[in-house]
Amino acid sequence: MPLERVSQGFKDISMTFQSNPLTSDLIALKNENAIARSIRNIVFTIPGEKFFNESFGSNINRSLFDNIDELSALVIKDQITESIENFEPRVDAVKVVTSPDFDNNSFDVVLTYEIIGADIPPQELQFVLQQTR
Amino acid sequence: MPLANFTNLDFGQVKTTLREYLKENSNFTDYDFEGSNLSTILDVLAYNTYITSYNANMVANEVFIDSATLRENVVSLARNIGYLPRSRKAAASTVSFFVDTTNITPVPSTITLKKGIISTSQGSFGRQSYTFCILEDITVPVVDSIASFNNIFIYEGSLLTSNFTNSARTPNQKFVLQNPGIDTNLISVTVRPNEQSTRSVKYSRQDSLFDIKSDSKVYYLQEVEDERYQIIFGDGIFGNKLEDNNFITVDYITSNGDAANGVNQFTFAGRLVYTRNSQEYTVTAGISLLTAGISASGGESIEGVESIKKFAPRIYASQNRALTANDYETIIPARIYPETESISVFGGEELVPPQYGKVFISIKPRFGDFIPNLIKENIKTKLKKYSVAGIVPEILDLKYLYLEVNTKIYYNTNLAPSATYVSTIVQNNTTKYSESTELNKYGARFKYSKFLKMVDDSHESVTSNITTVAMRRDLKVVLDTFAEYQISFGNSFHIKNMSGYNIKTSAFRIAGVQSNVYLSDIPDTNRVTGSLFLFTLSSVGSQSPTIVRRNVGRINYVSGTVTLNPVNVLAGKTKDGRPMIEIEATPTSNDVVGLQDLYLQLDISGSNFETVTDDIASGLDPSASSYIVSSSYSSGNLVRSGGPDTNIVTGNRTGGSSASTSNVTTQQTTTSTSTSGSSSSGSISY
Repeated sequence: MPLERVSQGFKDISMTFQSNPLTSDLIALKNENAIARSIRNIVFTIPGEKFFNESFGSNINRSLFDNIDELSALVIKDQITESIENFEPRVDAVKVVTSPDFDNNSFDVVLTYEIIGADIPPQELQFVLQQTR
Repeated sequence: MPLANFTNLDFGQVKTTLREYLKENSNFTDYDFEGSNLSTILDVLAYNTYITSYNANMVANEVFIDSATLRENVVSLARNIGYLPRSRKAAASTVSFFVDTTNITPVPSTITLKKGIISTSQGSFGRQSYTFCILEDITVPVVDSIASFNNIFIYEGSLLTSNFTNSARTPNQKFVLQNPGIDTNLISVTVRPNEQSTRSVKYSRQDSLFDIKSDSKVYYLQEVEDERYQIIFGDGIFGNKLEDNNFITVDYITSNGDAANGVNQFTFAGRLVYTRNSQEYTVTAGISLLTAGISASGGESIEGVESIKKFAPRIYASQNRALTANDYETIIPARIYPETESISVFGGEELVPPQYGKVFISIKPRFGDFIPNLIKENIKTKLKKYSVAGIVPEILDLKYLYLEVNTKIYYNTNLAPSATYVSTIVQNNTTKYSESTELNKYGARFKYSKFLKMVDDSHESVTSNITTVAMRRDLKVVLDTFAEYQISFGNSFHIKNMSGYNIKTSAFRIAGVQSNVYLSDIPDTNRVTGSLFLFTLSSVGSQSPTIVRRNVGRINYVSGTVTLNPVNVLAGKTKDGRPMIEIEATPTSNDVVGLQDLYLQLDISGSNFETVTDDIASGLDPSASSYIVSSSYSSGNLVRSGGPDTNIVTGNRTGGSSASTSNVTTQQTTTSTSTSGSSSSGSISY
């Protein structure tokens, strides 16, 4: 019988640095929240931003200034998938749907993934990609 | 918690240490995942630590002279032990010219050459043009309408002037000469009471506090950042203190260093004036062409960081005193004669016979082979300042001990395009080795095994090599004079054959023998000493010598000394315009050392490189039945080639004094008119 990997659970610090009003501890992000945060970090990091790890991140910001069409959406989708596969070992079966939103000049991204080794249902993460300058 | 390694300088290692810490001490778990927020915080912490440890490491390095890398810091550390690094040196030359003043009426009594640019290099020298200048005005009298400027020293570079006004109200005022590339020996400092004053006092440069009084007009020099120099004046206790509003004028030359060495053609570019009724008039006509005395030499770049690191502690150790031989070896290159490439110093007591009270110095200059007599005297005078009273320094001429190698290079024909190709590569490498610092210094040692390895490693096709080594010295002979000669090799001779012919010489002529003679030896039974004899040969390759004179000198195989009894040499092999006899011997050890003042040189032109096909490795002859065997011992002719063969330069045999060679060139058959017969003759078959 194959060994079943069961994780102890994931716990990350919150970038808001807010404290719990009762315990005065820093607020922690747990399990699926921690992983969702991590995925957002990976996607939004431009390669070269992280010290001594210049391949970390994804190149989507380059594609945001291209024409808003299905082709660009496909490129962005590939970049997101690749970066998550490379840098987030905790998730599997990543499915990315990017759809151009012509009216708002942006892309809607919907990510679906499973968390490895945790008894958590498949997760969905949505965000909008829009050039800001 | 794992042991933290505090000496980590690497970002990755620092981050790993932080992760290890979190693993033991935290509720958080996501430090391992690069995308987590915690990882970003760890990145910042590790980067901070990385920068701090890098800075700490650099600071610690730069504090010590051994590990400092920035010139500014090395110079500063050397300053702590009283060492001023050598500055760039301007190449100097001498020129002569005259000015015809007949077209000036009335003829002025003197002509002045103004300081500043005097000449430019004629044409382009190495695609560059250089200017030469003088530091101070030169005034000469006009005699018979001619003003002659003879042998004036000119220095390559530009004459620049910096002016400072001393201000008592400015604390920590610094007088820094803003240009790099200054020759510190060519700085002239004058001080006037104020800017308007015409009265000026010249200040001289000092290095120590000895003999400095409170009113001595001296200044000190120190190197500051970016190879520039700061001038420091006295404080009223050691050296005169400047007063408020004193106006300082500094004239100095910034040069191109060694780039201008060798310039020997100049075009006049100076300014000549004469004064009449307190007014200066410029002379523009009647100026002759410039005649160069000596071509520009002595230019040098600024002392490098490595050299400062080497010399500063040694100069400090010698305390500006030349006491031991090492002191001389440090002080002369650093303080007296920077053009020294290599130097060897030994006390007279080490000589045989000893010469007490003398110290012998042998210097290989960077340019040329020998030091001119004038510079020798100069060095001796300057050494007086440092040396112990009663010790006489003697500067010896360089004595070269040449090495000649005979190399048989076995190579695999499958791996090399041609034999010439292999031979060229080996010769190029050997040339590089012969020019390396391993050999070109006093006390050098020719390392036989290293040499073999170098030949083997020259190309992948070289399978092995068989190399024999011979030593050679050139005995300079005085023609037409009875003289006794002694020459030492500093290395033991190998006695190959008890019946003689262990040393080989080139041909020479002596009075009383009508043909070329050669010198060789017969060992005594003790195998330490032997006697020398002269013989003739029908041709260089002949193995049938005819001995013409026996017992003409002695040889000591252990000390490697050849002594010739008084002999009148009429002609020898001419090299560099001087007659000499080449003497060759096989060393007992293949590792040849340059003893005392002997300067070891690997003579490529006298060496032989022969390629031999390695039939076994090439697969042509796997059974080795036709393998070409090379002897590991030197063999061959009894003598060296060359000598007064067809066109010989003989001395003037009729004249009484014979210091110089005459230019009489005669054929071999007419060279000798013997006055006495040969003392003995005989022949041995070999």
